Amino acid sequence: MKRPPTGTVLRVLAPLLAGAALGVILQAVAPRIRLYTSASPGLVAGIAGLLGTAAVAVVILGRRRAAAAAAAASAAAVRQVAEDAARDRLRFFMRLDHELKNPLTAIRAGLANIEQTGGMVLASAGTVTALASVSAQADRIARLVSDLRRLADLETQEIELAPVDLTGLLDEVAEAIGEIPAARERFIRVTAPRAPWPLPLVEGDRDLLFMAVQNLVANAVKFSVPGDTVEVRASEDGDTLLLEVADTGAGIPADELGQVWQELARGAAARSLPGTGIGLALVRVIVVRHGGQVAIRSRDGQGTVVGIRLPVPGRARIAPDVAALRHDRDTPGMAAV
Amino acid sequence: MGGPAERPVVILADDDEAITSNLAPFLDRAGFTVHVASDGEAALDLVQRLDPDGCVLDVLMPGLDGREVLRRLRRGGRWLPVVLLTQVGESAERAIALDEGADDYLNKPFDPYELLARLRAVLRRARPGRRPLSASPTLRARDLRMDRISRRAWLRDTELVLTPKAMLLLDYLVTHPDELMTRDRLLEVLWGFDFPVGTRAVDNRIAELRRALGDDPARPEWIATVPGQGYRFAARVDDAL
Repeated sequence: MKRPPTGTVLRVLAPLLAGAALGVILQAVAPRIRLYTSASPGLVAGIAGLLGTAAVAVVILGRRRAAAAAAAASAAAVRQVAEDAARDRLRFFMRLDHELKNPLTAIRAGLANIEQTGGMVLASAGTVTALASVSAQADRIARLVSDLRRLADLETQEIELAPVDLTGLLDEVAEAIGEIPAARERFIRVTAPRAPWPLPLVEGDRDLLFMAVQNLVANAVKFSVPGDTVEVRASEDGDTLLLEVADTGAGIPADELGQVWQELARGAAARSLPGTGIGLALVRVIVVRHGGQVAIRSRDGQGTVVGIRLPVPGRARIAPDVAALRHDRDTPGMAAV
Repeated sequence: MGGPAERPVVILADDDEAITSNLAPFLDRAGFTVHVASDGEAALDLVQRLDPDGCVLDVLMPGLDGREVLRRLRRGGRWLPVVLLTQVGESAERAIALDEGADDYLNKPFDPYELLARLRAVLRRARPGRRPLSASPTLRARDLRMDRISRRAWLRDTELVLTPKAMLLLDYLVTHPDELMTRDRLLEVLWGFDFPVGTRAVDNRIAELRRALGDDPARPEWIATVPGQGYRFAARVDDAL
């Protein structure tokens, strides 16, 4: 694919332009923020840099996606494209992460400065509110950055392998989820077999598996309403261990189901809810790194069930995961990765 | 050179002006006399001229980066406390590489108050003219002996069998004794990024360490629980001879 050289120039200039534009806007519409600049000159510079980087990132990501889609037209090239895309994506996340960290650090330090100088700047209640908002939004971006970073790390980091008792892990997840206020308004059931024998141990990193299951259950709580049911079911299935998290919540429209495992994918229904859109991508990476598979079935308006399949050590292995071939199976509303 | 009663002198080295222009006044108001360096050479120069009490070094700087500055300081026999500001999500393993001898580190973007806490802790723990515990290859705490290079530990004559993560955690606790470590901080040490959930991951590893050390959580001799906050390594630590 040919790319005009202006693209490169634009990419370099965009953060600066975005930063400059923000500066002009701030001067024009927010005289109060000018107060902050006097207390903390780097704060505005930080925010500007951050916004500029984010804007450029969105453009690049969009182009990458388009390029990948075009090349994928040839079925034989799919795997190669997917591998390249995965590597590109990883590199891109690391760069993005790197570029966002400095401005975020500056913003946090700037906010801490304003907090320290307290009385001088915080003259009105409106200023306090605006400041709290800036602080909350900085935290939100920090969370997104750290989520993306975690995703990139997990794709490459060595995984600590030790026997993990999933039954105990599920109890811990249930306990952790119980601390989310919304969970108290759902019926949450966790079932793991005890007879004729308990679940076999799986091999893996307990913390990561905890994070994966916790993410799924938290999602089920998030996309359901008071009175809904959330079931966490574990079972032995041939040579594998199957773990399902099911809910009677909102469900996912069929046309959105294929994208749920992608990072930053957020369905129409999710847009009004807090979150970074990293959760399921993280779950997928964790499960795949454990030699397992993930799958999702959903019916719009009826609910969703997410399945994790993990190999049981000493038994036959699961067929290699084909992370790139996001084929929808013949059943409508079903996607496997 | 400031004594404990005076304002400690610290060098803050980062090439990003947005960071130094915010952090320097923050640290200044918190009671430090701050000198800013915008690259590695300037940082080395300031250390030579001012003989400061401590140093905050960004890892990624043009020319001499933070790690190289640190290596040169240590090679020159300067053991002033150094906090590294790391860029990528690194775990303690990588961040406090033994041969470099940083006292502590923080991943960007950090909470400025956490930097304050780390900086105060390393200054308090500083051993004038001697290398920090984090740069010692072998350490001893009562009858616990650690070979930090081979990542092995012995209690009396018995070698401890620990998972790699538990060993990493023990190493961090032993090299930062008598310091309150929040669960979030320990998660970052273990994983190199902040975990949004499951601070229980820390509790599990601490439980593993206590089992290995034969520590009674109700009356801990090694790892004390600071209720609602985190943990603290309670035993006195010194270089092993």
